[in-house]
Amino acid sequence: MFNTISDVKAALSAQRYIPSDEIATTVFLAEKLGKPILAEGPAGVGKTELAKVWATATGRDLIRLQCYEGLDETKALYEWEYAKQLLYTQLLRDKLNDLLAGVTTLAEAADRLAAEEDVFFSSRFMLPRPLLKAITSERPVTLLIDEIDRADAEFEAFLLEVLSDFQVSVPELGTIRARHQPMVLLTSNNTRELSEALKRRCLYLHIDYPTADQELQIINLKVPGLPPKLAQQAVELVQRLRSMDLKKHPSVSETIDWARALLELNARHLDRATIENTLNVLLKFEGDLQRARRAMVRDEGDRMRRERDEFGRLRRDDESSRFRGN
Amino acid sequence: MDQRVVDFIHALRARGVRISLAESIDAMRCIEITGVADKQFFRSALRASLVKEPRDLPTFDELFPRFFGLDMPPPLHQPGSGMSPEEREQLERTLQQMLASLTPEQLRRLFEMMMTGQGMSGSQMRQFLSANTTAMQMVTGFQPWATRRALRELHFDRLEQLLQELLERLRQAGVSEAALRQLEQEARENRAALAQQIGKEVGNGLQQYESEERRRRPIEDLQDRPFEELQHQNDDDMRAVINRLAAQLRTRVALRQKRASKGALDAKSTIRANLRYSGVPLDIRHRRRHLKPRITVICDVSGSMRAVTGFMLMLVYALQDQISRTRPFVYYRTIADVQADFQRLRPEEAIRVVPERVQGGPWQTNLSECLATFIRDHLDAVDRRTTVIFLGDGDDHLSPPNPRAFEIIKRRAHRVVWFNPEPPYRWGRDDNHMHIYGPMCDAVHHVSNLRQLVAAVDGLFQ
Repeated sequence: MFNTISDVKAALSAQRYIPSDEIATTVFLAEKLGKPILAEGPAGVGKTELAKVWATATGRDLIRLQCYEGLDETKALYEWEYAKQLLYTQLLRDKLNDLLAGVTTLAEAADRLAAEEDVFFSSRFMLPRPLLKAITSERPVTLLIDEIDRADAEFEAFLLEVLSDFQVSVPELGTIRARHQPMVLLTSNNTRELSEALKRRCLYLHIDYPTADQELQIINLKVPGLPPKLAQQAVELVQRLRSMDLKKHPSVSETIDWARALLELNARHLDRATIENTLNVLLKFEGDLQRARRAMVRDEGDRMRRERDEFGRLRRDDESSRFRGN
Repeated sequence: MDQRVVDFIHALRARGVRISLAESIDAMRCIEITGVADKQFFRSALRASLVKEPRDLPTFDELFPRFFGLDMPPPLHQPGSGMSPEEREQLERTLQQMLASLTPEQLRRLFEMMMTGQGMSGSQMRQFLSANTTAMQMVTGFQPWATRRALRELHFDRLEQLLQELLERLRQAGVSEAALRQLEQEARENRAALAQQIGKEVGNGLQQYESEERRRRPIEDLQDRPFEELQHQNDDDMRAVINRLAAQLRTRVALRQKRASKGALDAKSTIRANLRYSGVPLDIRHRRRHLKPRITVICDVSGSMRAVTGFMLMLVYALQDQISRTRPFVYYRTIADVQADFQRLRPEEAIRVVPERVQGGPWQTNLSECLATFIRDHLDAVDRRTTVIFLGDGDDHLSPPNPRAFEIIKRRAHRVVWFNPEPPYRWGRDDNHMHIYGPMCDAVHHVSNLRQLVAAVDGLFQ
């Protein structure tokens, strides 16, 4: 599909996603080696977005499995549809009577029923969940396993089995093999240490907050129409917030939201009032908000003091030169 | 190239990055695909296949340029490019004369290299350095310092003097001033290049030493060392060990909880779940067993206990998501609830701060008094789900034992466990009251190193 890493870059960029060299290389390697990617990093840096863009860029379907505590095989792989089976049993009661007509012993009845068992345990009554969908899909797919760190260690072990050979065994149906090997992207917010075994099987991609230049590019791409100067100022402020000791740092998606808000508010430049009014888009904790405000007031004080000193110096120079002139 | 990558992997491992064989094979395959032409892609490929922990990324970033860096030292050039053939011959002759009488040997080699531009390969240079300097055998030290030392031992500073001498001789022989100036400059460039080459080899030597050294004493060993020795270990190392142990414990605990999740039949939930099957109980629900214990830790923070306490508290905090409630107390002369400190500060800081809360007065432990205070003021920290962990040597320098207070705690608690870092033969001697408290506990563990501590904590979850 891709021949060079630059192809990957171009394809992802065409989907309005700005990949770093790291990201492009890892995606390229995953395509070539058929290995899953494990993407880690702070929340909101575009891990999930990468999967979506990857799927679109390669023309695959995206299948998403959102992990949570207590997720198990029946939610991730497949489940028998009891209700449907029950309904069919009710509706087919007459048919069953026909089937069992003329049977004298219980054992014989059971045998006849057992012969028809396959009807009820066929793919007709199976409810495929994301993993099975990805494996049985007619079209090539990208499988996104989101926030794997939230799932239990046991599920992780089960996942390893599926990811290593892309086949699952359903006792009633036999082994189902993948038609196309899905491209897999796992994301993790690192709330829990993942097992070594899982990490070993994946290519590892650490996505961090973007640099100021990258973030500016992202803003320009995602929020066109924002005045360049304002975008510049906004990115600077966000980068500064990230350097502060906050409970939760603003993510890229929050920067985009904020930029959109600024655009909606028709802001021309970042003054104190605008920031005050919109800062809650960036920061989600009261403590963080207060801390950021205090820092900004302090900055402003510093700036004013500097300007005053500068002004004073200029005036002194001015006066002294005049004095010399006289 | 392959050899270089293998060396690189060794160096990463030496720094504590865990790289399996499968991963190194992956790395090779990745390099085959990306090629080595573009350094940026090559680097990303290695990074994606070798480094799986964010905390290892700085190590990778530090080591990568050293192995595949653009900063290869500049090669040597033959000086005397601006000279006429006769002048060059003159230079050759004069140089040979000087070299013939020059001692010591290593300086002669250096001067020769500098003036002829014929350098050494990496391995020759390594041999040369290990034969003539002590820098390659250095145990510790950082590169600039070791390099300076190597240069000094090679009499590198005398090269300038020799160069001047050579120039003077040539001047007397009638070589033109312009040619001499150019010769001087080219020789200086060669000398700088030599210094860089030596620096690089010394750096490589140090790294290799470091990697061998690490292989000799792997991180596992720390588990078996007594706590007193660990106190002087690097904080980062210790935190890494603690985190790893906590992760292991957590996985073990999670698995155990999972297996234990099938409890008694939950009738209410089963009826609710099967309403959609017209009440036919197809979907049986079981009551989940909650194994999440509450823990109250009562730690002795007297001088002798400080090391163990720190580890214990760090471990408990690393495990916090498995334990629904943890209440830490510290005692020395008095007892104090230090939960607030742990919520406010990072555990490592808190461990430094909390002992100050219970000091004052004579430097003696008053365990009995502390127990009395505990049952008076803090008994709410103990209920039927709580496991009370005493972490202390059981010494009491001021008062007789207080089994009555201990009995009250024990009656309220789910379990009372004592972790004692003192060896059992000391229990009950002198001021030690372990022989009174010990038999009243549900379990007593002797913990003198990390492995024992982990085993003891693991036992809590069973």
